[in-house]
Amino acid sequence: MILRTALLGWPAAVGLLLTAAAPMPAHHSFGAEYDGDKPITLTGVVTKVEWTNPHSYFYLDVKDKDGNVANWKFEGYPPSVLYRTGWKREVTLKTGDTITVFGWRARDGTNWAHSREVTFADGKKLFFGPPAGTGDGGNTPPVVVP
Amino acid sequence: MAMALAFSPMALAQSPASSAKPKYPPMPRTADGKPDLTGVWQGGSNRVGTWEEANDGPGIGGTGTSAPAQASAANRPAAAVREPAPYQPWAAAKVLEFFNRRGIDDPDAYCIPPGVPRITTFGLFPMQIVQTPQTVVILFEVYHVFRIIPINAKHPDDLEPSYMGDSVGHWEGDTLVVDVTGFNDKTWLGPTGTFHSEALHVTERYTRVDYNTINYDVTMEDPNVLTKPWNTHSTIMLRPGTRIREYECSENNADLERYEKLLKDDSVFRRK
Repeated sequence: MILRTALLGWPAAVGLLLTAAAPMPAHHSFGAEYDGDKPITLTGVVTKVEWTNPHSYFYLDVKDKDGNVANWKFEGYPPSVLYRTGWKREVTLKTGDTITVFGWRARDGTNWAHSREVTFADGKKLFFGPPAGTGDGGNTPPVVVP
Repeated sequence: MAMALAFSPMALAQSPASSAKPKYPPMPRTADGKPDLTGVWQGGSNRVGTWEEANDGPGIGGTGTSAPAQASAANRPAAAVREPAPYQPWAAAKVLEFFNRRGIDDPDAYCIPPGVPRITTFGLFPMQIVQTPQTVVILFEVYHVFRIIPINAKHPDDLEPSYMGDSVGHWEGDTLVVDVTGFNDKTWLGPTGTFHSEALHVTERYTRVDYNTINYDVTMEDPNVLTKPWNTHSTIMLRPGTRIREYECSENNADLERYEKLLKDDSVFRRK
């Protein structure tokens, strides 16, 4: 960043600071559906994987300390994005696998979340979904607030 | 990162310029002398390399394998350098309302084509340009949408409003200038809430400046909602080895049903 500022010179650098950094748009707003202030990490057994557009899903049976099992649903990237980032259908994530997933809970409070990072039994980690808030417009509106 | 920055000037200084072999070939040209835009590209990025190399770190859409798991969307690299959008006051209030509703009104959720220039800055998905002297075709993975840009042609006189508009191109030196009109008012221009009317007129300038980079300069005009033309600049980067895959958005679009429930009480998701 320092190098970049030096190359651009001050007027350009100031210009960059003034322009709103526009986060990537997404197919739809993860930020509307999921609460970035409610991170969650769960370990469980995969019961189903849906490699579908516009988003993929997997389902996880999670046991609580009393032994009760609840089925959780996790949403993430579409298949084409997953394939480009190292996922393979029927290889990387299969029914019966035990995994740990980090993500953010749905705003409606149900057993449903936006998945970010999946940790496999061998310790390998891959992203199944985007960062919190994707598609919600970020921190700065694209217009000047009066 | 700090080390790389600190050492790179020294490395440059020590390389004898005359014998240094360039890492990349020169910018390719077609038989008729125009810059050849043919290839698979990623918009909304300024990083050189293969898809894997260029999307490491936080990456576009957070796909990079070394990205922090908890990165927030707001901290990721910007897709484009933009002036604040020059909306008329009533229209700015409407954009702000979309922003405060966290993008739940995004037309893309309906699996419709995202319009121009938004589709090009969707950096999460590659695009492929096929260039002939008569026509430039752009194929987009996202939404499985294409654009056909005839060169030195006029817009048809029977245009009906459409999502992607009607495009015609011409060359100004090494810059492909594309004029796009005939839009409907059902898409956003880019960031959350940036709506427009059917009067939208987009001028895109594609300038391939080296082997890896197309400068993508866009002017958006819409006298019904903007006070003046809105200019953006971003780069489109070559992605060797990447191919366009299928993205059929309506396959399992479960979001709309969930939106219906959320929209019954917007205090659940609205910015405080």
